[in-house]
Amino acid sequence: MKGALILLAHSFKRLRTLVLIMGTVLAVFQIFLILIARSIERSNTFDQMSALIPPFVRQLMGPSFTSFMSFRGIVSLGYFHLAVMGSLIALAIAIATMPASEIEMGYMDLMLVRPIARHWVITRSIAMLLICELFLFAMMMMGTWIGLNLLAQKIAAWPQPDFILLLVLNLGLLLICWGGVALAIGARSRRRGMAGSITGLLALVTFLLDYVARAWQPAEAVAWLSPFKYFNPLELLMGRDIPPHNLWVLAGIGLAGFILAYIFFSRRDI
Amino acid sequence: MVYNLRIERVESAPQSAISIRALTKRYGRLTAVRDLNLEVEQGEVVGFLGLNGAGKTTTIRVLLDLLRPTSGQAFIFGRDCQKQGLDARSHVGYLPGEMGLYSHLTGREVLEFLAGLNRQSVNKEYRRRLQERLRLPDGDLRRRLREYSTGMKRKLGLIQAFQSDPQLLILDEPTEGLDPVMQESFYELLADVRRRGRTVFMSSHVLSEVERVCDRIALLRRGELVLLSSVEEIRNLAARRVRIIFSEDVAAPMELPREFEIIEIAPRAWSLRIEGPLGVLINRLAGLPVKDLQVEEARLEDVLIRYYREGAE
Repeated sequence: MKGALILLAHSFKRLRTLVLIMGTVLAVFQIFLILIARSIERSNTFDQMSALIPPFVRQLMGPSFTSFMSFRGIVSLGYFHLAVMGSLIALAIAIATMPASEIEMGYMDLMLVRPIARHWVITRSIAMLLICELFLFAMMMMGTWIGLNLLAQKIAAWPQPDFILLLVLNLGLLLICWGGVALAIGARSRRRGMAGSITGLLALVTFLLDYVARAWQPAEAVAWLSPFKYFNPLELLMGRDIPPHNLWVLAGIGLAGFILAYIFFSRRDI
Repeated sequence: MVYNLRIERVESAPQSAISIRALTKRYGRLTAVRDLNLEVEQGEVVGFLGLNGAGKTTTIRVLLDLLRPTSGQAFIFGRDCQKQGLDARSHVGYLPGEMGLYSHLTGREVLEFLAGLNRQSVNKEYRRRLQERLRLPDGDLRRRLREYSTGMKRKLGLIQAFQSDPQLLILDEPTEGLDPVMQESFYELLADVRRRGRTVFMSSHVLSEVERVCDRIALLRRGELVLLSSVEEIRNLAARRVRIIFSEDVAAPMELPREFEIIEIAPRAWSLRIEGPLGVLINRLAGLPVKDLQVEEARLEDVLIRYYREGAE
């Protein structure tokens, strides 16, 4: 157990700069969005901006479009913006493919020739994934809180904390899902680049599938294959509940990935 | 205290430091190691030799449970390397052929991290002595690995392998990248751990090094063990070069025993290659005006290279 904790601490040390920078950038991004929302709210131009949005975008967003074009909608964008999602998924993949990277470098040899059980390597990666995720969400929520308190006082109705927490839960489960997929693939790979590329490509393809399926009916039949179908921040924005089934699917994929990673890693040659 | 108890337990049950039984490892259709049987006794220094691709590293990686054998078993101090891997590895210090290190870490961070993963605590005084012996001072350990030369990385690798003073050291090409002075320091270090009863299992391509530090040699060829013998026995297999200088002209010998091979015959000097004891030669020289007799020490290399060549053919 002592060895496992040392392994965890050592891995954090290696990633701390990246995570700190990313947390800061995400917090600043939340503040920046609040600045934009305040500016639009003050000039009362939400309606004019809505009119500028092309019809196909409205169609893609469906009834959530109206909810999105509001102070609350812009503020909450930081929790499902493509860049935020993309960078967080990339970080999840980077953390989950650490074992592959350590094997590729030969560092894993130095670790595993010590009395360290192989399962600790996977447990370490899962723990890092969860802790980094929690830290980044804390930074994002801190950014939102600071932004709202310093920049948006009495201008508009703030998003409620439980609404933000639900957005975070939804995004968190999406990251666990992709972290699990990346960990399972990484646990079988000798090259981090390969594991990361496969997972990244899979994420991109399934993201596009989900988007295409919203506008193109034939794709709807296979849209259930995309984890992004079960990520529903816009539902929350419209004041609806996220179907619990969707949350379970994301958590289930992540969990299945973690279990497969344990199995693959315990049986493989290093 | 725990550390001492652990050592006593290992020493109280006399058993091989390494025991490999009918080990086979295949990668698809390629057989890297075939039906390998090998025993390394406690306190021995054994050289593990073979050409590139002979299966040395594969065998070492099976011992360390980095690779899973296709069939057969490997034991370290009686513990199954796969089923009791944690116990087995708690007695091992390992130097890989190539050290995979993150360049942004300092030498100290690497040593502390790897020491923390061991069951036994590292004796700081012992580590300091290792640093002194291998000339890797604290100042160097504070530097990031990206600033390290190949030799410095090798020294760091040796320190991490030796720092917990393990019962068994598995070293893959230990002097690769070390300058001659550091090689000497390493040999002294090896002599020191050997005096204290530690077992060393090392692969090397430097035959002079193996001859100098090893008690026994195991030679692999295409995954099979083709030679397992003491250095002394192997040396006895080698032919010695003998040069005899005469004070006056001597007729060429009419016939010589089978163990004698003529290299050069001149009126006042004969050069011969002789296998086995030299007594027969002394008898032949009786009565001849011998001025000087030069016997070149038999070299391990002569025998081993023969084995290597046979494998290559």
